[in-house]
Amino acid sequence: MSERYDIAIIGTGPAGLEAAINAKIRNKNIIVFGSKELSAKLVKAPKVNNFLGFYNVTGNELKNHFAAHIASMGINIVNERINNVYAMGDYFALMVNEKMYEAKAIILATGIEYTKPLKGEEKLLGKGVGYCATCDAPLYKGKTVVIVGYNKESEEETNYVSELSSKTYYIPMYRGEYNLNPNVEIINHKPLEIVGEDRVTKVILEQGEITTDGIFMLRDSVSPGQLVPGLEIEEGHIRVDRNMKTNIEGCYAAGDCTGKPYQYIKAAGEGLVASLSAVSYLDSPKGI
Amino acid sequence: MKIGGNNMIKEVNDKNFSEEIANSDSIVVVDFWAPWCGPCKMLTPVMEELAKEMGKEVKFAKVNVDENPMISSKYRIASIPTVMVFSKDTVKETMVGFRPKADLKKIIERNL
Repeated sequence: MSERYDIAIIGTGPAGLEAAINAKIRNKNIIVFGSKELSAKLVKAPKVNNFLGFYNVTGNELKNHFAAHIASMGINIVNERINNVYAMGDYFALMVNEKMYEAKAIILATGIEYTKPLKGEEKLLGKGVGYCATCDAPLYKGKTVVIVGYNKESEEETNYVSELSSKTYYIPMYRGEYNLNPNVEIINHKPLEIVGEDRVTKVILEQGEITTDGIFMLRDSVSPGQLVPGLEIEEGHIRVDRNMKTNIEGCYAAGDCTGKPYQYIKAAGEGLVASLSAVSYLDSPKGI
Repeated sequence: MKIGGNNMIKEVNDKNFSEEIANSDSIVVVDFWAPWCGPCKMLTPVMEELAKEMGKEVKFAKVNVDENPMISSKYRIASIPTVMVFSKDTVKETMVGFRPKADLKKIIERNL
């Protein structure tokens, strides 16, 4: 059985890192998922002038300060992408493809970079709309499937689906060479809307439409509601209270993913609160 | 396989579905799953715990969608796991995808 961490933190922007620092100070066994660059958004910021104590710095300089800070505390970053987090009851299962991590509490600090859903997408989720083609493909044996791919990896999933479905359409949302089975039909018109009453019936494109039984949206980043099934979302952000607690017991959120203003010091402050809340959750006696 | 693990959850199929569900006096929670589905695997231990906790008032069943296409298409299963709550042969609730244990419990309880 794998080790069960006290707190898993997803995201390495200011919110995630501040949460990590405080959990570490409180002596919790933590794991932090993110990237060596810490935050793509921060690195790109030309100037940051409202982070207390650091003025007139570029985003990249601020990032270097963050990196030095966590390194001095012995906090490592696991450079892996979490596909899904499952609330199992008294712990969370974090999936990286076939690999699983376990934690008693989690802090979501994923930022806000994800694409808006298509019209009709959320309404028809599970009624023909899916996000994991390899997962649900066998349900489309002998049927028509449309796959909207945002990256090269989508091609592999598409090929797998095409071996089961009777007809597979691929809509690439990027440019490049496509390595697809010959029976996959490539469509070069962007999707606008998914149509259906209680089942998906068709996809409307910029030009024309496709009649289909199912459609898979294979995006680069998933929204928090897809990342953590059952998580409550309010106007595009994770719903939290003043303690940064979400609707799921033991699950906290901090930073841009909880709402505006999208500011570094606000994110860090929320990371602190989320971390302390998670610590007190872990330290409280749990009964029913 | 755990020994004596999940006898609280009844495997039902195309043949005995209506007998097991429609003729049940209590509400029945049915988990539509397949062996190749990752989220289904994660839901299984959650359903087992719920069956242990609520098994006196609620019947728990599961349907392998690969082996039981008739039931799966009758209830239009398009994504798995799908959990449905039945009262006799009426579908009271449909939950698509993995759900936190506390959510499932709440939804089952409001149908008691």
